[in-house]
Amino acid sequence: MTVVVATTAGGFLLVLAIILPVTAILLIMALGGRWLARIVPVALFANLCVSAAVAWLVARTGEPLAYVVGNWQPPLGIALRADGISVAMMVMTAVIICAAAIFAWSEYSQRHDEPEARAPFVFWCLILAIWSALNALYLGADLFNLYVALELVTFAAVPMVCLKGGATTLKAALRYLLFAVLGSMLYLLGTVMIYGAYGSLDISMLAGRVRAEPVAWIAASLMTMGLLAKTALFPLHLWLPPAHAGAPAAGSAVLSALVVKGSFFLVVRLWFDAMPALRDPAAMQILAAMGAMAVLAGSVMALRQQQLKLLIAYSTVAQIGYLFFMFPLVSLAAPQAMWAGQAWTGGWLQLFAHAFAKAGMFMAAGLIADATGRHRIADLGGTAQRMPLTTLTFALAGLSLIGIPPSGGFSAKWMLLVAATQEGQWLWALVMVAGGLIAAGYIFMVIGKMLADPLAGSDFKPVARYREIVAFSLAVVAVLLGLLPLEPLEFLQIGRPALAIAELQ
Amino acid sequence: MTMDSALLGLAVAMPLALLAALLAVPWLGKQLPVLLALAPVPAVLAAILSTDGTTLSWPGVLAINLALDQPGALLLGASALLWSVAGFCAPALLGERPGKGSFAAWWLLTLSGSMGVFLAADIFSFYLFFTVVSLAAYGLVAHEGHAQAKAAAKVYFAASLLGEAFLLFGLVMLAAAAPSLMIADAVQAIGGSPWRDAAICCLVLGFGLKMGLVPLHFWLPIAHPAAPAPASAVLSGAIIKAGVIGLIRFLPVGDTPLGWGEVLVVIGFVTAFWGVALGITQRNPKAVLAYSSVSQMGLVAAVFGMGIVGAAASMPVAVAYYALHHVLAKGALFLAVGIVAAYGGALRYLLLPVAVIALGFGGLPLTGGALAKYAIKPELGYGWAGLLGSLSAAGSTLLMLHFLRLLAVMPKPATAHRFKTSVMIAWAAIALAAVALPWLLFEPVTGLRLADTLSVGAWWKAIWPMAIGAALAAALSWSRLQLPAVPPGDVLHPVGRVLVPSGARLALAIDHLESRTRQWPVAGMLLVLIAVSLAVVMAT
Repeated sequence: MTVVVATTAGGFLLVLAIILPVTAILLIMALGGRWLARIVPVALFANLCVSAAVAWLVARTGEPLAYVVGNWQPPLGIALRADGISVAMMVMTAVIICAAAIFAWSEYSQRHDEPEARAPFVFWCLILAIWSALNALYLGADLFNLYVALELVTFAAVPMVCLKGGATTLKAALRYLLFAVLGSMLYLLGTVMIYGAYGSLDISMLAGRVRAEPVAWIAASLMTMGLLAKTALFPLHLWLPPAHAGAPAAGSAVLSALVVKGSFFLVVRLWFDAMPALRDPAAMQILAAMGAMAVLAGSVMALRQQQLKLLIAYSTVAQIGYLFFMFPLVSLAAPQAMWAGQAWTGGWLQLFAHAFAKAGMFMAAGLIADATGRHRIADLGGTAQRMPLTTLTFALAGLSLIGIPPSGGFSAKWMLLVAATQEGQWLWALVMVAGGLIAAGYIFMVIGKMLADPLAGSDFKPVARYREIVAFSLAVVAVLLGLLPLEPLEFLQIGRPALAIAELQ
Repeated sequence: MTMDSALLGLAVAMPLALLAALLAVPWLGKQLPVLLALAPVPAVLAAILSTDGTTLSWPGVLAINLALDQPGALLLGASALLWSVAGFCAPALLGERPGKGSFAAWWLLTLSGSMGVFLAADIFSFYLFFTVVSLAAYGLVAHEGHAQAKAAAKVYFAASLLGEAFLLFGLVMLAAAAPSLMIADAVQAIGGSPWRDAAICCLVLGFGLKMGLVPLHFWLPIAHPAAPAPASAVLSGAIIKAGVIGLIRFLPVGDTPLGWGEVLVVIGFVTAFWGVALGITQRNPKAVLAYSSVSQMGLVAAVFGMGIVGAAASMPVAVAYYALHHVLAKGALFLAVGIVAAYGGALRYLLLPVAVIALGFGGLPLTGGALAKYAIKPELGYGWAGLLGSLSAAGSTLLMLHFLRLLAVMPKPATAHRFKTSVMIAWAAIALAAVALPWLLFEPVTGLRLADTLSVGAWWKAIWPMAIGAALAAALSWSRLQLPAVPPGDVLHPVGRVLVPSGARLALAIDHLESRTRQWPVAGMLLVLIAVSLAVVMAT
């Protein structure tokens, strides 16, 4: 069976989305870091426009975009494909990367007439590399290309952790690197087995070829474990808290909002697109069980932290857990059921809402650290008086993480809960509600400290207003996502035959 | 959009608009009494002017559907009136301390939610407004800022979240069974659903917690007295009615299984007497009022349950009418405590009207309370439930006499506030409303005849429970029996002593477990283990 893929109108945009940031990196390397201030804004803006154009095209036609490089058909050639979920991820990534760039602009500024500095050069190259690699991850249509993209994401993300230097961050980065490389190895091993057994790595071809048999089982579990290690799903999260807490604020935002979601995206691609025949109920429940443990353990650990950034990092561990409820909730629904679409939309909405909320929250934490030089939760007193907007940012992002309406986090949780109820999967519903309660505890703990009186003798240097506004805007987006109707979103179904739109109405 | 529906929207939006104005124009902070008094005015107008059955659907993506019916209008109007008077008095009663701006912000946000719950017609809006009114009231409870207020606010917040969780579960089950998110459709569809009883159980727990039904009342006598008096007034008068409207909306007569009616009757009467028994041990007049609210909401739940058991279609209106009196009367009493605490000398003007309103809860003839008691008689019936209802009136009399005694001996304020006549006039207005509104609304709302309430038989039925209550109070006072001083929140303290340490131990255990998983060998083993089990479960 061969699936002929043709380049669609506007397909070249997909190539642009990947090579634009790479071109910018090459230009910076060729011309030198002094050109950063000229090249970076242009590249970021251009790529933002590309993402917007792709989204507009896909939304208008309701059909996925595709590009076949050199018109060589897969499995020989490389195909790029943008369906509903990849476009949604692209847009989210574009917005958050650009926000992080504005946020970090003055911190990593490099004037044209000054000698080249190391930190800005590395930071901007890494940001561009992460963007390019993530886009490749969203658009890749075969498992090996996805492996390459996955490696690129890792190698761009790890240096971000130790950008500040120092023994602690270096240790955190090494931990991250080792675990991520282990994950890549497992993924690659699985890919090799798939190629050996089925002679193709193209996702749409594999969907028809992969059968439930030993080689597929082993390959699928190896690849999944590799990806889970990179996603930091509990109990494979050992690298995440120190890494995300150690990076500079803009970096933490990108790592926590986007990078861990990249490998999660691949888990979804794997189980729903490449190997749908393998979606065994028990396997799905194992994923959800890990998710449930992540929600509970991550939330309790967040409650026990004393450093603000570690609390936020543990909250990421917990919030990633919710994403995995999608697997049993979508898979075990009757094929014609509306709630499969509910769970699908709820899961993705959780991903988007968390990304925006967490990016805003990490930036808020970074602003507070910049203003006071303090990192402990106990030292947050006076924040509300001196930085009302940042306090509000934290509170709004917190609303979404807890799942208080109206917020994206609430809508996501609501749809997942309704699906869990309809399918009688009570345990997962209980965990979701319990996770929200514990999240309310840790968010409330932080806000309570922010509202307290300032500590005696604490000094305060004001931060730039525009940086506060960037963080605030991201938190507002997380809340505004809650205004979407509580129904399956058609956009996320584009290009998905398995969950046809007609079934969702 | 007609005038009527516009008023519904304004009822919810006006407080938010004023909040935005207050944040944008700091000068408005000087006009707080007028601002806070005006915020609920559209809601008052909506309750009076809008016709039964008015609806408003928000056009955009956010699906907010509002609708007004008679029980909703009664609760909306009374609550809005109380919010308006309490809002007018609040700046004066708060004194000269800073933080009025943030108090006003929490006040307006809570007000918006409080109005919204009475109007919400779909599940999402109901949950939204319920959440807003519950969580924003945290700022009102915590306002005083001293250690006791902070502790009370923590208890309030935790309890509210627990209520939110129950409610979320119940609503999710409703939504899962329903063809649409409209409340009316959902409560009909739940009848045929396998998780009907689970859904009703969660809803009863959620609304019961908000109303303060035993044993979920533990937070109420802690939180309500901790807030400044105007906030206590709206908390105990208006905000807890979110639970009452919840019962009315989600447990309709005819669709709700009779067994749940019986459950509510039992819980309700237990609560009614529990509130009295614990209330008379309190030494703080505000705590006595809070326990009285617990007791009164217990009676409301019992009436509600009897209505379901007896399939009485008139029950929601009767319950709302009873609750309307409670909104105004309890609000007036809490405000009176605040006024006496602020201007000690005001007591001599207030004591008589306060006594009339307070004894109204015992059924003092000619008061609003007597009419409210008369209105729920058909639901309670003349059997044992009617008798228990009369005995609860005896209990209320006892409790209110205890309150009046505490009020009379309240210590003089250490720092005298500047006396404001306008505050006294506003109080007189709400006190008058507590008596006059039940009179005005009695015939049109309940369909009973006023003349009947004036008969000798009706007076006798009202007076003998009061006589028992008064006799009990006299006996208690004469015997010089020292009642044990039970800390407000009664059951919370023994339960908390068990739960808090075990919760801490559990968290510690999770911490240990988690730090083990962060060791390389353990993480590696787990990775292999999960990979193997994934492959194995796919193979089997």
